[in-house]
Amino acid sequence: MFLTRSEYDRGVNTFSPEGRLFQVEYAMEAIKLGSTTVGIRTPNGVVLAVEKRVHSPLLESSSIEKIMEIDSHLGCAMSGLTADARTMIDHARVTAQNHSFTYDEKIKVESVAQAVCDLALRFGESVHDEEAMMSRPFGVALLIAGIDELGPQLYHTDPSGTNIRYDAKAIGSGSEAAQSELQDKWHKQMTLEEAQILTLRVLKQVMEEKLDQHNVQVAQVTAEKGFEILDETSLKNVIELM
Amino acid sequence: MQHAFAPSASHPQPQQRQFNPYSENGGTILAIAGANFSVIAGDTRQSEGYSIQTRYAPKVFRLTDKAVLATNGFAADGNMFVKKVRQRLEWYRHAHAKDMSLRAIARLIQTMLYARRFFPYYVYNILGGIEEDGSGAVYSFDPVGSYEREACRAAGAAQSLVQPFLDNQIYFKNQTPAPGTSHPAHLPLNHVLSLVIDSFTSATERHIEVGDGLEMYVVLAKGTPLQGLDAIQGITEMTATDDGERMFIIRRNLKRD
Repeated sequence: MFLTRSEYDRGVNTFSPEGRLFQVEYAMEAIKLGSTTVGIRTPNGVVLAVEKRVHSPLLESSSIEKIMEIDSHLGCAMSGLTADARTMIDHARVTAQNHSFTYDEKIKVESVAQAVCDLALRFGESVHDEEAMMSRPFGVALLIAGIDELGPQLYHTDPSGTNIRYDAKAIGSGSEAAQSELQDKWHKQMTLEEAQILTLRVLKQVMEEKLDQHNVQVAQVTAEKGFEILDETSLKNVIELM
Repeated sequence: MQHAFAPSASHPQPQQRQFNPYSENGGTILAIAGANFSVIAGDTRQSEGYSIQTRYAPKVFRLTDKAVLATNGFAADGNMFVKKVRQRLEWYRHAHAKDMSLRAIARLIQTMLYARRFFPYYVYNILGGIEEDGSGAVYSFDPVGSYEREACRAAGAAQSLVQPFLDNQIYFKNQTPAPGTSHPAHLPLNHVLSLVIDSFTSATERHIEVGDGLEMYVVLAKGTPLQGLDAIQGITEMTATDDGERMFIIRRNLKRD
């Protein structure tokens, strides 16, 4: 394995003779090290849930930010090298704001996912006219949740610049077990509350620590209230319902 | 006696040169919104000073099946502006897999005009069509992008003749309703078309830059009955998609003197 890869995993934009981009594939591996993140789409909205790994009792768990707002109708959860996600979310926010500035309407969820993916493939290339180059692929995957004229939608983006729409999707270290659990439990007419409970149940299965309101974060996007991160009391209520 | 400050070889007089990139090509445009339709019209004369450059230069353009843009002022700028708006409409379609709504086109036009704040398109724009909610709409712009949704607007050479007429006939300004009655919020299509034709025949009489031909675009919202449109002679349907909105053009001659 070392022999076949050594020549072609240096340059970020160099294909191997088998037609692979190793740096991109390694970036996808980085996501599998990240904490588990789950997203579920329902007819009434989209729910996002992440595991916050609290590896020290001295750590302030409220300072771990793995779900972020893109626009009032768009949210995003991440897994992998979360520092990389800041660049991508910043790009998504600017794109969303530019859209409403220019067109006086909210940007579509798909358009934001596409904008993020356009950025994801700009490694080894200078962004805009700047000298600085993005030297490597982003090591993070995003679940983008939002509502537009096509209803509630959930998109998954990865370092290869692919974006795919899902009814339910899990990413991160526990994603394989989580995804098969979602496949079993998800159904078309799920209510938002059912989805909240399912995301937490799925997370609970793959988490090492005991799940409580400090080591998970849940957010949702609804037509009525747009994007919101659930506060500790409402999170506690959902956990009690599990 | 030679004056002390007279120009000489060593002290030449100041000189000034200038280049004017703009001209004013006359003509008038007008748009009126109904409850579920919109009429956008313009004459087709293009002139510069006392000369007529052409008797047929369209100033009203179909953008989509639910949006029509009328431009007035410097014709070259107007034509280029319409070209650029159409280009942006196509890019948007490719990027977002849908047609731009009228409201979005209005905002886009503002951004495009204001982008040229310090070398403006010398054009007054009126955008007419159907909103997402199916209502007829008219948006009017100044050359640098200030815009407003209105029920009616005239612009161009004969604006000062036509707008007061519309204010009186559409907004019922200076008219008191008979006791126990009230003015209608929207007029029917045949009434609006008569007002447009009267506006242009009158403007042709009193303004030298207006005349030759009249083009009236009619946009109907989804499911709107023809309201006698099919009986109008010389009407042509221009609908291109099957989204439901329908677009027609009616041409009339105006006096050529």
